[in-house]
Amino acid sequence: MALTTPKPTPLTPAVFAILLALAEGDKHGYAIMKEAQTPQGGGVPMGPGTLYGTLDRLMRDGLVEETGLTDDERRRYYRLTANGRAAVSAEVARLDGALASARSLGLIHEEGRS
Amino acid sequence: MIKTLFDNKADKIYALAIGLYPRRFREAYAFPMRQAFRDAWSDNALPRLHLLNLLAKDLITSLAKEYLNMFRETYARPALIFNAVILAGISTGIALALYAIPQQVLRNGANDPQIQLATDAVAMLESGAPPSEAISAGNVDMARSLAPFIIAYDDQGKPLASQARLSGGIPVLPAGVFDYVRQHGEERVSWQPILGTTRGVRIAAVVERVGGAHPGFVLAGRSLREVEVREAQVRQMAGLTWIGMIALIVIGTLSYGWLTRPPVQHLATSH
Repeated sequence: MALTTPKPTPLTPAVFAILLALAEGDKHGYAIMKEAQTPQGGGVPMGPGTLYGTLDRLMRDGLVEETGLTDDERRRYYRLTANGRAAVSAEVARLDGALASARSLGLIHEEGRS
Repeated sequence: MIKTLFDNKADKIYALAIGLYPRRFREAYAFPMRQAFRDAWSDNALPRLHLLNLLAKDLITSLAKEYLNMFRETYARPALIFNAVILAGISTGIALALYAIPQQVLRNGANDPQIQLATDAVAMLESGAPPSEAISAGNVDMARSLAPFIIAYDDQGKPLASQARLSGGIPVLPAGVFDYVRQHGEERVSWQPILGTTRGVRIAAVVERVGGAHPGFVLAGRSLREVEVREAQVRQMAGLTWIGMIALIVIGTLSYGWLTRPPVQHLATSH
């Protein structure tokens, strides 16, 4: 694992969605794409080019790594590193703070939420 | 059967599209990208139109991003940029010198006959010769002729005698030039006389003070037209030299950057 500091927040939507998807557990490329696209996964539609470009940079930054496991020779699995987990936690805390602020300003209508 | 053919076609087209990515990226991710495409293509929950739209947008944005990234990795290296900037600075300095030095030599050389003419005329006037005698008759058209000429002015700057005409009259120097010559004895200027509708005539003028019983001024001048043509040629040659040197630096920097680019790192495991 690369000994680098966690990526400073705020993260880009694609990076956040990928890290959030991997926070659930190890996933292969298409599973990450699918998870990122869901509302709870960040709602970020992305294609293979964006996915692997972002994963490439995340691996260089030491936030994500390949598991080395594969269920198909073409399908690779990825997981969060400790730094990756710290980065996504920091981003969630930042968003949480912003959300609390928005709520106190009456920008979020609680009754409208499911 | 038709569906399978269509699926194979789509797979092949996407494989070709992957070939558009930079080599390093392609080598590392072509297989998993293709697999992700196959997974998405075979996912019945994903509408085809939506997927095609997503893939098209993804291809455009990620291609641009990866090429930019490759360019940054290959060329945005401090040592490479520093060398290029230093070389460009030196080249610009050389090109400026290639222009400025000959330009000054040409411009200063343009005064040579006038210095001698003005000195001789001043000597004659100071020895008591009348202006009409010291300034021999002449009919130089300042707008057309390249011949040197002399004009004598009185102490107030009023023309007394002239070998040259501009639009039929004798042009007068700006008062500031006379004031300067009164204090310093001589001035060498590029003069653009304006008389009537004539514009754009530039004269290499040497103005000297006349002392003695009848103080005044003598101006010896000559058109700068030919000198300016040569200056333009020198400027063009210096400009072309500068463009050539900058082009060589750009080609050299790009070639060196490419040859010394960071090696391909196979971050991924086997394909």
